[in-house]
Amino acid sequence: MNKFDVVVVGAGPAGSTAAYLLAKAGLKVLLLERGRGAGSKLLWGGKAYAQPLRDVWPELDKEAPIHRWVTKERISVLWGERAITLEYKLGRRVAFTSPLTELAAWMARKAEAAGALFLDEVVVEEIVVKDGRVVGVRSGGDFVAADVVIDAEGANRLLLEKLGLADRPNPYHMAVAAKEVISLDPRLIEERFGLERDEGLSWLVLGDVTLGIPGGGFVYTMRDTISIGIVLNVGYGAEAAEKGVLRDHISRLLENFRTHPYFRHYWKEADVIEYGGRMTVEGGLRFAPKRLYANGLLVVGDAAGMLVNAGYTIRGVDTAVTSARVAAEAVLEARDKGGFTEENLRGYEERLRKSYVYKELVDHSGVAEIFGDPFFFSKVPPFLVRAASKVFEADYAEPTLLEALKTSAQEEEINMLRLMLKVGRVVRRI
Amino acid sequence: MSQPSRLRPLKLEELLRRNVWDVDEERHIEILRQDGLPQKALQLLCPMGCYSMAGDKLLMSYEGCVECGTCRVLSTPQQIRWEFPKSGRGIQYRYT
Amino acid sequence: MRIVVGIKWVPNTQAVRFDPETGTLIRKGVPSIVNPHDLPAVEAALRLREKTGGEVIAISMAPPPAVKGLELVLGMGVDRAILVTDRAFAGADTWATSYVLSHAIRKIAAEIGEVDLAIFGHETIDSSTSHVQAQVASWLDWPYLYYVKRVEPVGGKLLRVWRELEDYEEEYEVETPAVLSIAIKAFKPRPVSLSSKLRAKLEKRVLTWTNADLKLDPRCVGLKGSPTIVAKTIDMPEVPRKKEVYRPKDGKDAARWIIAKMVHDEKLREVLKGLVGGEL
Ligand SMILES: Cc1cc2nc3c(=O)[nH]c(=O)nc-3n(C[C@H](O)[C@H](O)[C@H](O)COP(=O)(O)OP(=O)(O)OC[C@H]3O[C@@H](n4cnc5c(N)ncnc54)[C@H](O)[C@@H]3O)c2cc1C
Ligand code: SF4
Repeated sequence: MNKFDVVVVGAGPAGSTAAYLLAKAGLKVLLLERGRGAGSKLLWGGKAYAQPLRDVWPELDKEAPIHRWVTKERISVLWGERAITLEYKLGRRVAFTSPLTELAAWMARKAEAAGALFLDEVVVEEIVVKDGRVVGVRSGGDFVAADVVIDAEGANRLLLEKLGLADRPNPYHMAVAAKEVISLDPRLIEERFGLERDEGLSWLVLGDVTLGIPGGGFVYTMRDTISIGIVLNVGYGAEAAEKGVLRDHISRLLENFRTHPYFRHYWKEADVIEYGGRMTVEGGLRFAPKRLYANGLLVVGDAAGMLVNAGYTIRGVDTAVTSARVAAEAVLEARDKGGFTEENLRGYEERLRKSYVYKELVDHSGVAEIFGDPFFFSKVPPFLVRAASKVFEADYAEPTLLEALKTSAQEEEINMLRLMLKVGRVVRRI
Repeated sequence: MSQPSRLRPLKLEELLRRNVWDVDEERHIEILRQDGLPQKALQLLCPMGCYSMAGDKLLMSYEGCVECGTCRVLSTPQQIRWEFPKSGRGIQYRYT
Repeated sequence: MRIVVGIKWVPNTQAVRFDPETGTLIRKGVPSIVNPHDLPAVEAALRLREKTGGEVIAISMAPPPAVKGLELVLGMGVDRAILVTDRAFAGADTWATSYVLSHAIRKIAAEIGEVDLAIFGHETIDSSTSHVQAQVASWLDWPYLYYVKRVEPVGGKLLRVWRELEDYEEEYEVETPAVLSIAIKAFKPRPVSLSSKLRAKLEKRVLTWTNADLKLDPRCVGLKGSPTIVAKTIDMPEVPRKKEVYRPKDGKDAARWIIAKMVHDEKLREVLKGLVGGEL
């Protein structure tokens, strides 16, 4: 009874994907989740790229709990009461919004329907190794044997750390978010954000919403709720707190964001129905464990560092799903080769390297590095906003853009050359 | 007219009342050693405000924890014992 | 020994919010939980089973979502669970509830095997009456002991049972079948275990009984079978919370300070008066 072909730890997007695909391929799969029901421990901003999910579930558009298709992307730079906003109107259905609690629950249901055995309320305490290979998992006093274990435990890698495959993370590679869920009539959401029915908006905010600390703010519209949040790099945030630059609790930054005159009319008269926090990975590749696979073990999703986070935008669900899909393919391949040895599982990393996820991670690793530079969060926003104010708030003759930039740089004590170099590096790698 | 929870700034305590926990009787996070803990960072960055000062010592109330792990990466295993709550207890997110 | 444990599926009261605008409770989206005081009862039953062998059967009269709660206690190691559910049972007070539960226990005895013990929690967090246990005992005509903090098998049909009271304890010998209710926090409930969860899931250990199975007179169950009338509910004034730190020299000093606070604090005095029902 206590023996499975595959045990998957964690019913997040990565774990449920792996369990779904392997159960569908006829393997005996056990999916373990510590929360009460899948999704009950999860929180995110709110936008998933659809195509990588359709690769696993072609029925996604019809069946998944899709709240709205993102048709508007906005980026704002905020300083004081001033703001610069860039808006892009999308031409097709690329990404959708949904609460992660719902989306993850749906994915776990798909896995169960495909034949995986799903158990919640179980905290896996150890991935068990015997004679150089992973043989199963342990929880409490109980051991469950598996030919292969898929670790999809997310960003808090207690299990990988115990195995010695990962170290306790560097705080500068992590970010923490505080988020509020605001309940609002769907029609009001559409009216206020200028959306049609089923259309959604994704909005990123940089600047003094984080007091210039690396991080940002986000707004996502769901069907009848709005998700707003503040993300802070843990390392820089802690530094700012200890130095006295950050004096308020993170929830206070979120409050200031929610009540900011530029934003507050969007959720006028609306009520906050939930408040929460979650930590995430910043700069995926740096967070990758010492190995992505070993004898009888594969690591997928956030736990594997398969997450693109450039400080202000976080994209981890589609990459988690894709890494898990690739892992499932590698497991099936290894089975056909006769066993889940390290040698036979090598296909995982090879396939991963060929997938878009890896390219995305490599391309963005530079961005993550650059955006790890507090300069972009503390210096650039006030500079841009100041320059814009010179152009748009001139009582008499307005300056040329170049003049505005030059004088603003002087006033903000920014070296133009250094700025150009940095911007050039970002543009090349974004 | 009183506007109990509309728009005006909300205190953290008010925000927490909107959430659902199934709190375990046993604490899953515990301060083991005070020395060297980044006191201010823990107080300001724990999204749920679980860390507060009692005199010159940090106090940790595990009841409102959402198991995010931030305090974990800001400490060592010698300073803070950090585990997941058992039996599905702890935060029960609904709309996040 | 065959032990039946009663489980109540209750709204997570600490998460139920009061809407000051409409004056009603906001229960939307609030998940229910197993009544926390039932978990020590489950633990007591499991420990007894470990000593005597036999089985523990959890039983809950509740709407279908309560299966989640039964899965939790199965995960703790309960052998099987019975969900007693029927539209006809809705709206039951303690009288009608205990009537249904006692008949479910009889049906267990008739179909599964003799029941030696029915164990309940001390009270529920959503109504706190502690009536159901006593009423089940009455319907079954079994002896009833409450505030139980320890149970030991003696042999044969005898159990030794310790009751915890204000400042003393009582020791009983009781012959089974009997009904016990377990004092709050008397037993620390064990966490859910992987093997129990697995067993529960693989062997599909939740039975569902409706009134088609129990065949009870519809006039005796649910709202119709409930004589209780809620005449009026009064909300207790909310006690304003203040935080103050005082460093006492010793215990006496601490007590003196707290009493002085209580006597001198206007708001607190009002609340205390309300509780005592007169002058202080
Ligand atoms: C604030 C924030 C905003 C984000 N916004 C977005 C966004 O807009 N778009 C996007 O694509 N991504 C976003 N992400 C990232 C995205 O949420 C993650 O990348 C994604 O959830 C990773 O999936 P996963 O399955 O790898 O891990 P997780 O989702 O973390 O799932 C891990 C699961 O494993 C369970 N678990 C962990 N340890 C154990 C154990 N020992 N035993 C049993 N179960 C265990 C957990 O309870 C959890 O359910 C955001 C993240 C954060 C924090
Ligand atoms: S895990 Fe997160 S929510 Fe819990 S105490 Fe630590 S920082 Fe706070």
